[in-house]
Amino acid sequence: MTIATTKSALQAEGVSVWFGERKVLEDVNLVFPSNQVTALIGPSGCGKSTFIRTLNRMHELIPGAGLAGSIYLDGEDIYGENVDAVNVRIKVGMVFQKPNPFPTMSIKDNILSGLRLSGRKIENAEELVETSLRRASIWNEVKDRLGDQALSLSGGQQQRLCIARSLAMNPEVLLMDEPCSALDPGSTRRIEETIIELSQSMTIVIVTHNMQQAQRVSNQTAFFLAEENTPGGVVEFGATEQIFHGPVDQRTNDYVNGHFG
Amino acid sequence: MAKVIQLDNKPWLRANNSRRFLIFLSSVVPLPLVMLGAYSINLDMTMSFLTIFLPLQILTAALVGFQAFGKRGIGDAILVVLTVFFSLFVLILLLSVLGSVLTEGFKTISSQFIIQNNVYVSTTTSLDYGGVGHAILGSLMVVALTTLAAVPLGIAMAIYLTQSQSKIRDLVRTLTQALSGLPSVVSGLFILTIIEATQIGRSGFTGALALFPLMLPTVARVSEEALKLVPVDLRYAALALGAPNYRAFFQVILPAAKSGLITALLLGLARVVGETAPLILTVNANNGTNFNVFEGGLATLPTYIYGYLASGYQTSQARAWGAALILLILVGILFGLARVLGRTKSLKSKAKK
Repeated sequence: MTIATTKSALQAEGVSVWFGERKVLEDVNLVFPSNQVTALIGPSGCGKSTFIRTLNRMHELIPGAGLAGSIYLDGEDIYGENVDAVNVRIKVGMVFQKPNPFPTMSIKDNILSGLRLSGRKIENAEELVETSLRRASIWNEVKDRLGDQALSLSGGQQQRLCIARSLAMNPEVLLMDEPCSALDPGSTRRIEETIIELSQSMTIVIVTHNMQQAQRVSNQTAFFLAEENTPGGVVEFGATEQIFHGPVDQRTNDYVNGHFG
Repeated sequence: MAKVIQLDNKPWLRANNSRRFLIFLSSVVPLPLVMLGAYSINLDMTMSFLTIFLPLQILTAALVGFQAFGKRGIGDAILVVLTVFFSLFVLILLLSVLGSVLTEGFKTISSQFIIQNNVYVSTTTSLDYGGVGHAILGSLMVVALTTLAAVPLGIAMAIYLTQSQSKIRDLVRTLTQALSGLPSVVSGLFILTIIEATQIGRSGFTGALALFPLMLPTVARVSEEALKLVPVDLRYAALALGAPNYRAFFQVILPAAKSGLITALLLGLARVVGETAPLILTVNANNGTNFNVFEGGLATLPTYIYGYLASGYQTSQARAWGAALILLILVGILFGLARVLGRTKSLKSKAKK
């Protein structure tokens, strides 16, 4: 696989992040082309989860968080003065590490919650629910019990429900922060299939600790590393094929081959 | 050949007979000894239970515990005895309070007692005349007025305390906690001085004012705890879907905290519904029915009870008991109502199936 030369959907330029006085991420420059899956790998604490949260401005919800640099979505800086974080998050969806469906809502209402929460009108609710659930490949499992509580689903189903919930907003970019870390191999496989299918229509950024997963689903990979007492940063960025089978940097080679981290 | 192990359903119930016998002995032996002690040295019942029964029970339980599990059994057995003993103690206390109100109260109440007011009643009037209807109405009006003000404000405070990152948040929390320790009579005195200073007439409204500082901190603190229990993940999930803060709060966090907020309301109600002192200071007594909470005297159940208990006549005290029972029932109804309203959706959908 090679990096497609289509226009970039999302681009990070010189992104540095602070929590209070502590700098946790330094000068990250990454390009996420449209309809490509980018995997962010690296040992724990290297700042990849922090970085992915800057891409939809979830980062700023943490007290004391600071940021320098720019992130361009369709050519517009999402940290620009006139940009509302709410509008950014509508275009850039996010799936979290732990499944977090809304416990007070039914399966159906969870899907429609995004529209309700962003104050938009709901047209063709039934159709939207079905297509979203189908795209997250969970429709067949829940079609007969859309009115049930979301918490009645298994962990893997809950996570796919959360993916469907994000898809209902029809985002341009989908961010996934270790979406499979709490799931069994079967659920993981189904979510990976979903990711590959979704990448035909949207840009996906996924943080993962699973090397095989990164190789299976991604087109390009960025290796993050935070060496002792220094902020994290990108060591190597390129086509997934190259990162795993011909890395330029020795540290990348050590990491993907399991020598550390 | 491997030995086949027979598995029974409840292995924890497996106990051999000698152990069963010892446990039986340990729980029964102390009792006759207590009887004997009470009879021979004229100890009263409570004292003999504390000085003979409890130590003996602990001793025998410890012996059985040692026989059954060795050293660690001793501590376990002693803890079990103490726990059961003191739970029973509290339970008996509670039941005797309830029991005396129920037995005394039921002698008094009748449909006429619930509906009528006390306009033509003196301290010695027969129980066939007059009632607490006016006091029930008064209590409901004053408490409703207090609730209307204290619950929205208390929940608003809880929202502020949990959602904002302002620096004076800790100060607000400390002050709220200080306020929750406010003696009710002080609150009444405070409103009384305001009444004196501004010359506003005493009414149900001034009573509600006096109850307000008592209910507010309770509602605020319990609501804060309820809101804190909602996982931050849910808020992030809502915000990541492009929700503005206020929508994330009202559509996701508030429904998730609903049953906790109902508890806050209940504890707030429980705090003020039986308050007597502030109402005595700030509301004029009234034997008639008054529908206007903003003007004139108003009877409430606690002040009614207080008023009739203070006079030594038997019929008056019977009225007070009756009113106490009514107050108890009223609290029960309010709690039941709030529970039904606060029932979560999941329960409803289960009920449908």
